[in-house]
Amino acid sequence: MKNLSSLDRVIHEPARLTLMALLSSVKSADFLFLLKESELTKGNLSVHLTRLEEAGYVEAEKTFRGKIPHTEYRLTAKGKTAFEQYRKSLGSIFNKE
Amino acid sequence: MNVQIDNVVKRTRGYWFVDGFIEMAAGGLFILLAGIILFDGYSPEDSFPSWFLSIAGEVALAKLFGILTVVLLLWWLKDHFTYPRTGFVRGNRVTSAQVLIILRNMILFVLLPISGLLFASLLISSGNAILSSMPAWFPIGLGVLWAILCLLAAEWLGLRRFRLIGIMTLLAGMAVGIWQLTIGLTEFPANTQMEILHPAMLESISRTLASLGMLVLICGVVLVLSGVVTFLRYRKENPTPYEEDV
Repeated sequence: MKNLSSLDRVIHEPARLTLMALLSSVKSADFLFLLKESELTKGNLSVHLTRLEEAGYVEAEKTFRGKIPHTEYRLTAKGKTAFEQYRKSLGSIFNKE
Repeated sequence: MNVQIDNVVKRTRGYWFVDGFIEMAAGGLFILLAGIILFDGYSPEDSFPSWFLSIAGEVALAKLFGILTVVLLLWWLKDHFTYPRTGFVRGNRVTSAQVLIILRNMILFVLLPISGLLFASLLISSGNAILSSMPAWFPIGLGVLWAILCLLAAEWLGLRRFRLIGIMTLLAGMAVGIWQLTIGLTEFPANTQMEILHPAMLESISRTLASLGMLVLICGVVLVLSGVVTFLRYRKENPTPYEEDV
């Protein structure tokens, strides 16, 4: 039970976990990629990305591709560490049982 | 749960292959190389070293310019077709530690087993027998090697179609090897010395190149077909570019 409570609640939410997993294997990805892969609505995706940004796990960079606004997201060093830690914690919970 | 996370990670890694462009481009390059190998056949009027050097030079040039063209073409296609539909992803930079791991694995699991097999075959058989049977065993061995690489890629990228490509490559290698066996292997006279380029040896090398050309051609066609099917499916699922609200 102590192990379960030690899980990072910011990452543990399924939608945010998916976003963290998606961003963990790339340098950065844009909003559209995350939208398509996570199958969230635009509003939901924005909310979850904001939550991850507030936790310092994700950072956004807003640019333009031609005249089209383009926002790229990437995991911060803190986000990478937190995600690795989360996976380890998750693994240890199931291995102990 | 960790398995589900792994699947998401694999899906992201395999994003580069989502539209089939890479397979089509690689397949096209394979067909070009096969064309060079197959159409530059050895004729007895040529001197062997100059023929071999000319074919090696042409293959190297085709690879260099082919890869350059393919990279530019892929960059343009992805930018104009894929990214507006399903988004842009910037891949992780490969670190020197990762390069070292890849090199170590290549040496441990590819080069050492091949060297071991060659050494073992030299112990149980003569050099002439190995050379005369090269048109048969070379495509089979190469087919097995490429099939292993395809299966590893399928696992790493979470792409099931790469398993099918691997199996097709394996079958193609075996088919080419069996085809060479059925038309009969080159007979080497008993006193043939390895240091001298005997006509039988040249024929064996020439037929091995023909086998290689056939295998590369079949693999190229398989890759192009796989790419076309993937592209059609991708276009059906993502017919128009996505419009992001400002």
